[in-house]
Amino acid sequence: MRRRASLVLLALAVFCAALAPLLRWYAYPRLAKIPPNQYQEVVLEAKDATLIDYLDGMKPKKVDKVTIVQTLKGDVEASKEIEASAGRDVVVWDTLSHVIGPDGKMVSQIPERYIFDAHTQDPVHATGEMVDGDAVKREGIEFKWPFFTEPRDYLYFDAQTRTSSPIHYVGPRTFKGMDVYYFEQTVPWTKVPMPKKMPIEGIDPTTLEQTTGTTLWYTTKAMFWVDPVTGAPVNAEQQIQQEMRGGFAAAAPDGKITAFAGHVKMREDYSDHTVELVRSNRTKVLALHTYAPAGLAAGGLVFLGLALWLEARSRRPPDAGDRGDRGDGRGRGDGALSA
Amino acid sequence: MRPFVAAASGLVLAVLLVLAITAFGAPEGTTSPKPLLTTAPPAPGK
Repeated sequence: MRRRASLVLLALAVFCAALAPLLRWYAYPRLAKIPPNQYQEVVLEAKDATLIDYLDGMKPKKVDKVTIVQTLKGDVEASKEIEASAGRDVVVWDTLSHVIGPDGKMVSQIPERYIFDAHTQDPVHATGEMVDGDAVKREGIEFKWPFFTEPRDYLYFDAQTRTSSPIHYVGPRTFKGMDVYYFEQTVPWTKVPMPKKMPIEGIDPTTLEQTTGTTLWYTTKAMFWVDPVTGAPVNAEQQIQQEMRGGFAAAAPDGKITAFAGHVKMREDYSDHTVELVRSNRTKVLALHTYAPAGLAAGGLVFLGLALWLEARSRRPPDAGDRGDRGDGRGRGDGALSA
Repeated sequence: MRPFVAAASGLVLAVLLVLAITAFGAPEGTTSPKPLLTTAPPAPGK
């Protein structure tokens, strides 16, 4: 009986010992990926911001609040189509950054299509990749860092300039009880395309530069607090400045008009929600990557120890005490050997 | 001989289990019917 039990324990020990590395190095790289059907929204706010009033002489005004609603929606059908030609797991995100003024009316709107590798977050170039209708070829990351983010600089895509530049790793931080990595990117003053949707009556924003000579300039300091396990930002802030230069702005002091200036921060309820979401996903990733393999390895050792211990006991010769206890001439060892 | 059989069955079970898990994979789901938002929701998910 003991010998049979020790064989079962040996089988369990090998099962656990084999499963641990298989989970970590075979299953994890195949299973850890961004689901293609993700839907997520986040609300950001810039309080006490400066915003151009397009309907009142194009003058910059101080406003209580500018709101940015960012929605992200995975297109499963599009990802399947691209996967068929790319030969790897692909995610297609359609996003919309909708900017709302203090009166609740639209200030601008920028749609994007972002296509990337579901496992590594490397960009995948396919038809449809765009920012505000302009075809782009992204380099680096956008919105999310790779799983197990490293404490180093990354190349980060800026949608306004349609270019990528380094986002610098500044150091570790604690955000709402989570240990995160803090990154910063500064985009210097750059001429950017006019958003295709702006509330300027009688003027097509796409031809504004050609017809009036007015150009839009932009600079930003982007800040991200990133959970290193999932690579998901738990908080994001941006100090943004936009100026109209030349054309109708030439008559203004300094020859420029502030179109927007403000410190954009995640609304508090969305910040809490994001932290909870990332914390939950972090546990799932760690379960597959660390907890299960480590637990199985430890379990394998325990089962192996038990199997050896039982085997050793079954081989121990019977002593006089045992015979006396049983009263039938059979010791503990005899039982094991007869099994 | 029997310890080898036990060890081999443990190994085979582990390999089969991992192959089954990875072959099954995570469900892909469908594209969300929810629209891209143009108003600020009062609270997350609302």
